[in-house]
Amino acid sequence: MSDYDAIVVGAGNAGSAAAITMASKGLSVLLVDRSDPPGTKNLSGGVLWGNDLAKILPKWQSEAPLERFIQDKKIGFLTEKSSIIIDFKTKIFEENKVGHTVLRSKFDPWLAKKAREAGATVIPGITVESLVKKDGKIIGVEESGDVVTSNVVVLAEGINPRLAIEAGLRPPLQDWEVSVGVKEIIKLSPQKIEDRFNLSSTSGLASEYIMGNLGELNAGAFFYTNKDSISLGIVAPMERLRENGVTHTYDIIEQFKEHPSIAPLIDGGTVAEYGAHMIPEGGLEMVPQLFGDGYMIVGDSAGFGFSNGLVLQGMNYAFLSGILAGEAAVEAKSRNDFSSSSLSTYKRKLDNSYVLKDLRTFKDIRKVTNNKSMYTTYPKMLESILLEMLWERGQPKKKVREILGSCAADLNVGKLKTATDFYYMYRRM
Amino acid sequence: MLKIAVMIKQVPDSQDISIDPVTKTLNRSMARNVVNPPDVNATEAAIQLKDRYGGEITVITMGPPMADTALLQLMGMGADNGVLVTDRVFAGADTWPTGFTLASVADFLGGFDVIFCGEETTDSSTGHVGPGIAEFLDYEQATYVHKVEYENGFLIVVRDIEGAEETIKIGTPAVLTITLNANEPRNPTLKRKIDAYKKGIRLVTNKELQLDPACIGLKGSPTIVKDMKTVPDPIKNPSKPTIEELDKVVSVLIEKGVVK
Ligand SMILES: Cc1cc2nc3c(=O)[nH]c(=O)nc-3n(C[C@H](O)[C@H](O)[C@H](O)COP(=O)(O)OP(=O)(O)OC[C@H]3O[C@@H](n4cnc5c(N)ncnc54)[C@H](O)[C@@H]3O)c2cc1C
Ligand SMILES: Cc1cc2nc3c(=O)[nH]c(=O)nc-3n(C[C@H](O)[C@H](O)[C@H](O)COP(=O)(O)OP(=O)(O)OC[C@H]3O[C@@H](n4cnc5c(N)ncnc54)[C@H](O)[C@@H]3O)c2cc1C
Repeated sequence: MSDYDAIVVGAGNAGSAAAITMASKGLSVLLVDRSDPPGTKNLSGGVLWGNDLAKILPKWQSEAPLERFIQDKKIGFLTEKSSIIIDFKTKIFEENKVGHTVLRSKFDPWLAKKAREAGATVIPGITVESLVKKDGKIIGVEESGDVVTSNVVVLAEGINPRLAIEAGLRPPLQDWEVSVGVKEIIKLSPQKIEDRFNLSSTSGLASEYIMGNLGELNAGAFFYTNKDSISLGIVAPMERLRENGVTHTYDIIEQFKEHPSIAPLIDGGTVAEYGAHMIPEGGLEMVPQLFGDGYMIVGDSAGFGFSNGLVLQGMNYAFLSGILAGEAAVEAKSRNDFSSSSLSTYKRKLDNSYVLKDLRTFKDIRKVTNNKSMYTTYPKMLESILLEMLWERGQPKKKVREILGSCAADLNVGKLKTATDFYYMYRRM
Repeated sequence: MLKIAVMIKQVPDSQDISIDPVTKTLNRSMARNVVNPPDVNATEAAIQLKDRYGGEITVITMGPPMADTALLQLMGMGADNGVLVTDRVFAGADTWPTGFTLASVADFLGGFDVIFCGEETTDSSTGHVGPGIAEFLDYEQATYVHKVEYENGFLIVVRDIEGAEETIKIGTPAVLTITLNANEPRNPTLKRKIDAYKKGIRLVTNKELQLDPACIGLKGSPTIVKDMKTVPDPIKNPSKPTIEELDKVVSVLIEKGVVK
């Protein structure tokens, strides 16, 4: 007899969601996390889309420690001296309130507490050392020489799944599979935030930028408002960072903070927290075998996430994959069969959900986000076009077609290259 | 079999505390709570004593309900029981009612052979509470202890006395306050934490203790904090080291084999 029906390694979004799903259906669940309180060292930019969370915690909007609901969403390009931004403000966001900024150091302990309330045994402050295998089947976990057993282990270790890798359940991470995110939390009074960004006491702003001023790093940036702080940061592919010899991600976040259109927004703020974390960007190609005899892999560990330079999502994929793995475990328990074939329902559920559908739909997105022109040429091109159109310099005006032509010539890009880039962007995004 | 208690307090992690430049008060809002560091050494000392001479260890804290995680952590190291003394009427206590309440709890639990405390806390650092408990209970006491042996009802302890050590023999029951870094505390283990979780924490309120409201909490606190000032950093502009001084540092590092 196993000690538990399920052991969940990691109380991030995915792990806690799985634990809640299983414990609320009566399974005996052990949820272990290395930090105490659980998840306090976790890091996200911080926009949480809560449709999936609502499935297990219908009252999340009133109970969870949320910062501000997203009312204003901006996307744009930064060049050395300019910013070109689309500002999307809609009543629809206000009416639905599903997008919220969160601080993980508050949100994750709350979610783990919900797992405890659902009946899971939640043990923080313990790092699981390894998985225990018997006859090719995962039968539990090991720590300090002690073995704790379960029918199924749900691996929710986050982006660098050491246990899964060491047990041979997935290959080690490759550079191309990840981006590096660097983040700061900057304290700013609610009054200043609300005045500066034209917000109410509960509404918030989420901006994402393509960083045209960081050359071939292919970096994006984010800027989110919390109650009394700003979360901001930079995300860049590991490959690009290495190729360009960037070892101090600190420098690139400074370049974002010092940008002429960003600096005034954080003026008077003080840095309260600083952190760096990897993000899955490998898409479908990095997704490992997701289940086997006695185990399932969820969340970042499975490579679930979506980013296209303007949107960065992982928490919702983590919730949903955790919930689906939880459901698969509940069904496996009813059959009293935790073999690979029994747990394959997890994969089937994923296939039918947006988790794997999105990864399939956007399987070529890296060709767009990896395209250096997206970051080096096009932001500058946009800037030139807008300067030509909007800056009166006492010179004869040109037609758009002429402007485009001369910009392309200035920036040394062929019309064909531009045309194909935009064609593929149109096909792949 | 020794009956052992460890008194522990949750404090804000000193790494996360900053001083608000405007109000000059401690900003604890971003701080995680941790077990007061010397209290972890006290727990380790208690476990070592139990390992050698046998016994049962109860960790006790007076604090808010969420302090139970601190007790689970120390039970994960090897303490047997956890007691959380929590009640609104205990809130706002200074060192006098804290010592009084904890002494009363020890009495309520049938008394102990040895009560371990930390030398002082990182958030208030008075060092009053341990000796206070000893006085209220009329136990023997030894402060700033880093080594403990037990022999026929007596404790042989080594005390730090600023630059020297003092070895003394005291009777039991006794209160010992343990210094920071007196030992290397073991890590909690998963198995022990699971056992602790299953066993649960015993809650004690003033319903059970029946202490006089005038002697506990804010009401029972004779101290009034009137003002708090931040002392400027004494070495704001340290003079730059000379080349000769740097050479000296480097030669010492080479000598010790730290650099080649
Ligand atoms: C800079 C940045 C910005 C982001 N912005 C957003 C955003 O705005 N919106 C969004 O939806 N997503 C965002 N993401 C992605 C999102 O953070 C992740 O996709 C999400 O956190 C994944 O959840 P998870 O539960 O899989 O992993 P995690 O949240 O990383 O949780 C893993 C947990 O496992 C624990 N753990 C690991 N190993 C062990 C072990 N051996 N023993 C015990 N415990 C262990 C860890 O302590 C941790 O709590 C961002 C990510 C980054 C880095
Ligand atoms: C800004 C500020 C100023 C203060 N000023 C004063 C003051 O001037 N005078 C005053 O009397 N109080 C003061 N207090 C209150 C004081 O912090 C509390 O009385 C506290 O409960 C005990 O004192 P201590 O933290 O100094 O403990 P110490 O006496 O330093 O603690 C020694 C050991 O006693 C044990 N212990 C202490 N508290 C507990 C507990 N709650 N539960 C279990 N074991 C415990 C631990 O083993 C600890 O290592 C102040 C508090 C603040 C925040």
